[in-house]
Amino acid sequence: MHHVVLERWSRGTSLLHRRDARVKILSLLIFLIAVATTHRDFELPGLLYFAVLVGGMIAARLPVIGMLRRAAIVLPFSLTLAAITWISGEPRRAAMVVEKSFLSASAALLLVATTPLPQLLRGLEMLGTPRFLLMVAQFVYRYLFVIAEQAHRMRLAALCRGGRFRPKGGFRSAAGTLGVLFARSYERADRIHRSMISRGFEGHFNLLSRPSLVWADAGFLFLTAALVAVIRV
Amino acid sequence: MHIPDGFLSTPVWVALDVAVAPAAGYIVRRAQREFEERKLPLLGVMGAFVFAAQMINFPVGGATSGHLVGSALLSFTLGPAAAGVVMIAILAIQALVFQDGGILALGANVFNLAIAGVIAGYLPFHFWGAGRARKAAIFMGGVFSVLVAALMAVSELLLSGIAMPGAVLGVSFGLFTVSALLEGAITLAVFQAVETLNPNFIKQPKAGRRIGLGLIALAAVALAGVGVLFASTNPDALQRLADTLGIASKSKPFLDAPLAEYQAGFLQSAWLRKAGAGLMGIALIYGACALLGRMVGRQRSA
Repeated sequence: MHHVVLERWSRGTSLLHRRDARVKILSLLIFLIAVATTHRDFELPGLLYFAVLVGGMIAARLPVIGMLRRAAIVLPFSLTLAAITWISGEPRRAAMVVEKSFLSASAALLLVATTPLPQLLRGLEMLGTPRFLLMVAQFVYRYLFVIAEQAHRMRLAALCRGGRFRPKGGFRSAAGTLGVLFARSYERADRIHRSMISRGFEGHFNLLSRPSLVWADAGFLFLTAALVAVIRV
Repeated sequence: MHIPDGFLSTPVWVALDVAVAPAAGYIVRRAQREFEERKLPLLGVMGAFVFAAQMINFPVGGATSGHLVGSALLSFTLGPAAAGVVMIAILAIQALVFQDGGILALGANVFNLAIAGVIAGYLPFHFWGAGRARKAAIFMGGVFSVLVAALMAVSELLLSGIAMPGAVLGVSFGLFTVSALLEGAITLAVFQAVETLNPNFIKQPKAGRRIGLGLIALAAVALAGVGVLFASTNPDALQRLADTLGIASKSKPFLDAPLAEYQAGFLQSAWLRKAGAGLMGIALIYGACALLGRMVGRQRSA
């Protein structure tokens, strides 16, 4: 599945990968806010923002084409809305909306492609996000692929037995499948909880390395802010 | 698909981010109180379940099929606060890992799906989930959860100045209604399957809740949603929409009056006026939702 790519990307050792998660989150926010609030004449600033992002991807030794293709996931949605805007007689606005959504998605992708999710969530926690929410998010991410693969296996098993989810009766059998998947997920959660207790879970996850701010982090934040400010003005 | 960055105008995403932050904090605290650390894996795994449920297609007829969205089902099984937390966690993961929905637009998406959607989906079950109309309540929960979220999303986009011709609006309303009805049917079917397997999976509502109150609450949410939509449509598109729906003669004076007042008021530019009116509407809904949340919570603990 294509999520594995992100896991591989985020485990790099480049200069960008080694920056503190908090600094990268703040930089992303600065970048996004700058993009969102640039209004007139988006052509030149748009190109410059794009150059900054591509520069970041190269500095992080990430495959630029692969990254851009992944960020292009927003395009079907934005192109549809842009087409509607175009029809209503605002072609410039339509183009800007597409550019902005693509730039923002690429920027967010650059953050997650240079920061492993546990570190990212720890960074968010240090910036004041409730820990309970972040732990739930981490569990969602951890078991996302497990449950999805279970769903996949169940569908395969149904196909093997000749189940085709046909319109007649198929609706109920699909509902039955999901009901069973629900029950299995529930039981899995119980098992997970028991094994966590037996391993001495203390109410929070531990990271292998303790995050600490170094001068390079401050430099990185300053650099992003300065670049963005120059482009914005 | 959630709203990506780049679509919402600055006042809209800022206002929603600012409004959603404390609301999300409140929801998280409530869920934490109800669930303690014991159920932490449960919430996470249920979030993963909602993700995975998208892989199971429900045949509708012809070549079309739908899949579960899940916020209503989550609120019936985990309770509204926990369902909200799970939805927020899912939206955050989708925005960060899958680039589905923007980072700055996260407040808007959380408001639509995890706050308004969950409350609208849960209310019918809360009030009628124990009586004779149980099935209808579950079905309506699924319908409302999708319909309200979609209406909110459209009104936020309109507020941001994304112009939509009346025809497009009409078609999208049609699509929303169809997918909302589908979500209702799927929610009901899966709910029954889950309950057959183990009735303890469901958080049963208490019997004898006041039905009149429920009606008023639902009507308030629905009216507020429609109100925002109308407030946020620019008069041009509104006129066309009204024409297509054939309500032009009735709605015209009703809509002119508040706008005229705004014109004479402190807000000068047309854009500010439009955004201001819409934001007021959203603020009103937000207040209504917060109040309802409190009310529901009090009844639950009483």
